[in-house]
Amino acid sequence: MLTLAVFVPLVGVVVCALLPRDRPTTIKAVACAFAALPLLLTVVAWARFDTGQGGFQLVESARWIPTLGVTYSLGVDGVSLPLAAMTALLFVAALAYPADLRGRPKQYVAAFLFLETVSVGLFLALDLFLFYVFFDLSLVGMYFLIGIWGHGDARRSALKFFIYTLAGSLVMLLAILGLYLATSPRTFDMAEIIRQQPLAGNGLRGGLVFLGFLIGFGIKTPIVPFHTWLPPAHVDAPAPASTILAGVLLKMGVYGFIRIPLAMLPDAFRTWAPLLAALGVLSIIYGSLVALAQTNLKRLIAYTSVNHMGYAILGIAAAGGLAGRGAEARSLALTGATVEMVAHGLITGALFLLAGSVWSRSGTYEMGELGGLSSRAKTFTAAVIVAAFASLGLPGLAGFVAEFHIFAGTFSVYPIAAAIGVLGLVLTAAVFLRMLSQVLFGALPERWASWPDLTTVERVTLAPLLALVVVIGIVPAGLLDVIDRTAKAIVTGR
Amino acid sequence: MAWALVLLPLLAAGIVGLAGEGRRRVLWLIPMAGLGATLVVAARAAAVQPAATLRWSAAIRLQLAVTGFGRVMVVLVPVVALAVVVYALASEAADPRLRRLVSLLVGFVAAMELLVVAGDFLTLLLAWELVGACSWALIGHRSGEPGVAAAANQAFVATRAGDVGLYLAAAAAFAASGSFAFADLPAAGWRLDVIAAGVLLAAAAKSAQLPFSPWLFSAMAGPTPVSALLHSATMVAAGAYALVRLAPAFSGLGWFGPTVAALGLATALAGGVVASLQGDLKRVLAASTSAQYGLMLVAVGAGSTTAASAHLVAHAAFKSLLVLGAGVAIHAAGSGDLGRLRMRRQPRWAAALFGLGALALAAVPPTGGAASKEAIVAAASDRWAIVGFGVLVAGALSAFYASRVYLLAFGRTAPPDRRTGVEDENRRAPPNRRTRAEIAAMAVLGGATLATSALWLPAGRRLLERNAGDPWPEAGAFALVPALATVLLGVGAAWLLDRRGHLLDLRLSPGWRVDAADWLALPRATKGLVVDPVLGLARFLARVDDRVVDAGVLATARVAAALSGALSWWGERGVDGIVHGVAGGTLVLSRFSRTADERGVDAAVEGVAGGVGVAGRQSRRLQTGLTHQYFLIVAAGVVAVVAVAVLGRS
Repeated sequence: MLTLAVFVPLVGVVVCALLPRDRPTTIKAVACAFAALPLLLTVVAWARFDTGQGGFQLVESARWIPTLGVTYSLGVDGVSLPLAAMTALLFVAALAYPADLRGRPKQYVAAFLFLETVSVGLFLALDLFLFYVFFDLSLVGMYFLIGIWGHGDARRSALKFFIYTLAGSLVMLLAILGLYLATSPRTFDMAEIIRQQPLAGNGLRGGLVFLGFLIGFGIKTPIVPFHTWLPPAHVDAPAPASTILAGVLLKMGVYGFIRIPLAMLPDAFRTWAPLLAALGVLSIIYGSLVALAQTNLKRLIAYTSVNHMGYAILGIAAAGGLAGRGAEARSLALTGATVEMVAHGLITGALFLLAGSVWSRSGTYEMGELGGLSSRAKTFTAAVIVAAFASLGLPGLAGFVAEFHIFAGTFSVYPIAAAIGVLGLVLTAAVFLRMLSQVLFGALPERWASWPDLTTVERVTLAPLLALVVVIGIVPAGLLDVIDRTAKAIVTGR
Repeated sequence: MAWALVLLPLLAAGIVGLAGEGRRRVLWLIPMAGLGATLVVAARAAAVQPAATLRWSAAIRLQLAVTGFGRVMVVLVPVVALAVVVYALASEAADPRLRRLVSLLVGFVAAMELLVVAGDFLTLLLAWELVGACSWALIGHRSGEPGVAAAANQAFVATRAGDVGLYLAAAAAFAASGSFAFADLPAAGWRLDVIAAGVLLAAAAKSAQLPFSPWLFSAMAGPTPVSALLHSATMVAAGAYALVRLAPAFSGLGWFGPTVAALGLATALAGGVVASLQGDLKRVLAASTSAQYGLMLVAVGAGSTTAASAHLVAHAAFKSLLVLGAGVAIHAAGSGDLGRLRMRRQPRWAAALFGLGALALAAVPPTGGAASKEAIVAAASDRWAIVGFGVLVAGALSAFYASRVYLLAFGRTAPPDRRTGVEDENRRAPPNRRTRAEIAAMAVLGGATLATSALWLPAGRRLLERNAGDPWPEAGAFALVPALATVLLGVGAAWLLDRRGHLLDLRLSPGWRVDAADWLALPRATKGLVVDPVLGLARFLARVDDRVVDAGVLATARVAAALSGALSWWGERGVDGIVHGVAGGTLVLSRFSRTADERGVDAAVEGVAGGVGVAGRQSRRLQTGLTHQYFLIVAAGVVAVVAVAVLGRS
């Protein structure tokens, strides 16, 4: 079933390729239908998931390259299942959202569907090699989306994104190999490596491998100071691609931290956790400060992503920061980091789609040129306000659940880091309220006097994202129960 | 039942918010029914003290409990809100967005009721920030007007700076006991210091204490009913309420009481000076709100949560009354400038009710405000004589500015710069339907103000003693006489200055007075010391970041080059590979400086296209089961992509 969830979008690519080119609406509709199948399948997986169990479930495994210890192996646990479901949902939303197809509808949907296969596959992969392949291929799909359908200096931004993150994935590859060479018998199988704990207590080598992962995942996440590829990529990407980039691709780095170093190198992780926590706090403060000075709507959202990934990294650092003690608090922090990924995907996904609506109506992201839109576009205003408040962590919305868990858990491990990081909440409040008053409030400029409100397609696409943000914010039990047991298992090493 | 306190107003707010345009009857009926039902449930809940939980996860449950002083507050909030909503429906009837205003006012009650019944830090924090968000939306109600959105933002950010304290308190509570519940506080150990400091920070910001006080001036950008609710029973009251609820748990901390009392006294004195100097009607009331909450903090610091809660209740009644009365005057005169008001006791009932509120604010017996203030004097002087004296001074100031604001707003003497006859007619106009409804709302609050006189009776005192948890601080003649004397002093000074025509300017030079009246130049200090440096730092970092972006391209190139060497090592698995890779990397590095070369970009695009084409074809062949081949070709494709993207630009 998980295999089907991963590869069914590629079937969609084939089907769309057979459709006539001059029917872009049909092509998009068919593509959306195929993009929705993995969502359906992850929902089924959710229903079959046993929340009382910490390990991998619904595992599908096949021999692949036995001589190298490479298997084709998929499965879920409490961390990957919510991410896979959120990913599938975001792809449906991104595909459905109106975008300028530049007369190449087939290639457009093909790039998205290919990226969906890769992304869902990455979160479900239980084999390091498979994980790496998906990790790398994700760059390819995004490269095309930015390069072909982007605007501004799109190709340059795309290339920068590609080379920078590719460099990161190569460092990660080295780290994977370092880990692989320490296993005995040699294997890429994640569950087996977690059982073996190959570099337990091994100071230098474990440290080097950990640093490889730190750089590799740190670029993808991105953690300050590895973040500079992110703003240009976002600004020049088409809005639906930004949604996927922020909502899904950034999560690959954060998820990687949990899946690999935290679970497989707990000793090295513990040694370096203070550094990771410091980088998390740096990302929180730096990201929100730089966001505060932005005039471009998309750059602003991009930098708040750096800030939010900082929260997640801080939570992960705390989760791996102590041996034996404080398991309750560390598990809380890890649960928070996971919820942060889901929440950020939904919230920032919605924010970027809304930014796309701004672009398609005005051709600008400059907030100084906008203003007063609340008097023209009521639904748009409501959606932007909900998304912005969710992003600044207002209780009752998903971001708060994540950030509260992270700070409550982190304080037990790194009280100072938590105390500094909490200031990010004040800064993000300033960032988003400033954005709201520039875009929505004040006088309506003459030229936007006929600004159209959100279309039906835009409303229908945004509604599930924002509805989930509210539901998770008020009754997160359904989500927390799935994550909880796994988080405990990871922080206690089972 | 505890949930009903939150859900009933929430439901009413939702219905009003979603009701169609122009359905005025819904606008009256639903809020009245919703708040009325809330009031009934609250009265019942105060008696049975229900509790409830909402499960978030195995480790976390939201806990609700109607207990302690909360039993009084759950009733107080809907009472004030009912009067305020009636007033809003009348006074803002011409507002095309009246629906939004009423919906948010009722929603505000839901958030505040949740705050009142919170039984753990998570629920408290949740409600705390929701109350802040409601305030933001309400203050920014007229967001189309210049400056309003900025004022709302300032209020939200200033109070959120305090919310940070509550986040830390919650985190420290969990670190100490593995639980967020208030009931587990005694087990907190050294972390209790962190918790107490966090709660104090959050409460100071919410209750507009120093140095956060100026946000309450910004909050005046909202419509009058918003101010009435915000000052009395919701937002600002939240800070003092949290302290009343939690302070007993902190009584073992030596620093806590003196710090709270010092902060409260400083705010009470500064707020008193600001209110006495202010020339704007609503701002006088805003400064007096800070000052009165300062007195509640003094009581908490002195260990008498009973005195604090008594003053909170008394203040809620008279301050909402005063703000609504101010709204009537401002509407009639078209301005809140105290130099231009002088309503000459018109409209008669509004003037009388405003006068009643002013008497309570001035603490003239037998109003409830007098009883609670004397309790605070007694509690404070019992602990520290100097603080008791400070409270007396603050009391004299409040008697002075209460008399001053009444005389300047509704007093008899004609304003020196009376202008047009139209305005004059407006003042004398017989009360119309709108004014009558407004006065009816004021009358409800006037009744509540009179009801707080029960604080002079043993029964009234017992009610608060039982719920706030400590005995009423009995003021002997020693405290009572000076307290009354200071009230007389304040009222007398205002009367004398009025007779000499200097009540507005107090014979002070205008430049100095205006500065001091704007929170003793605190907003300017905040701007210079906090806001501007943060914004400057943000702009500086943004510039640095932009430069790093450019530097980043080259750095990335170098890393990529070096790592392509590493990749070829993986291919060849040998020392030779490393040597080769390093050599290749160096070569690449020199070529890579031409990153911007269009040909290079094109080559990369094409190369990547080739790579993904391979991958795409191969992934389709997966269905044929040739997984080995698939892997090899994908791997080769990946390597090719790397090679083409990095190397293939010559």
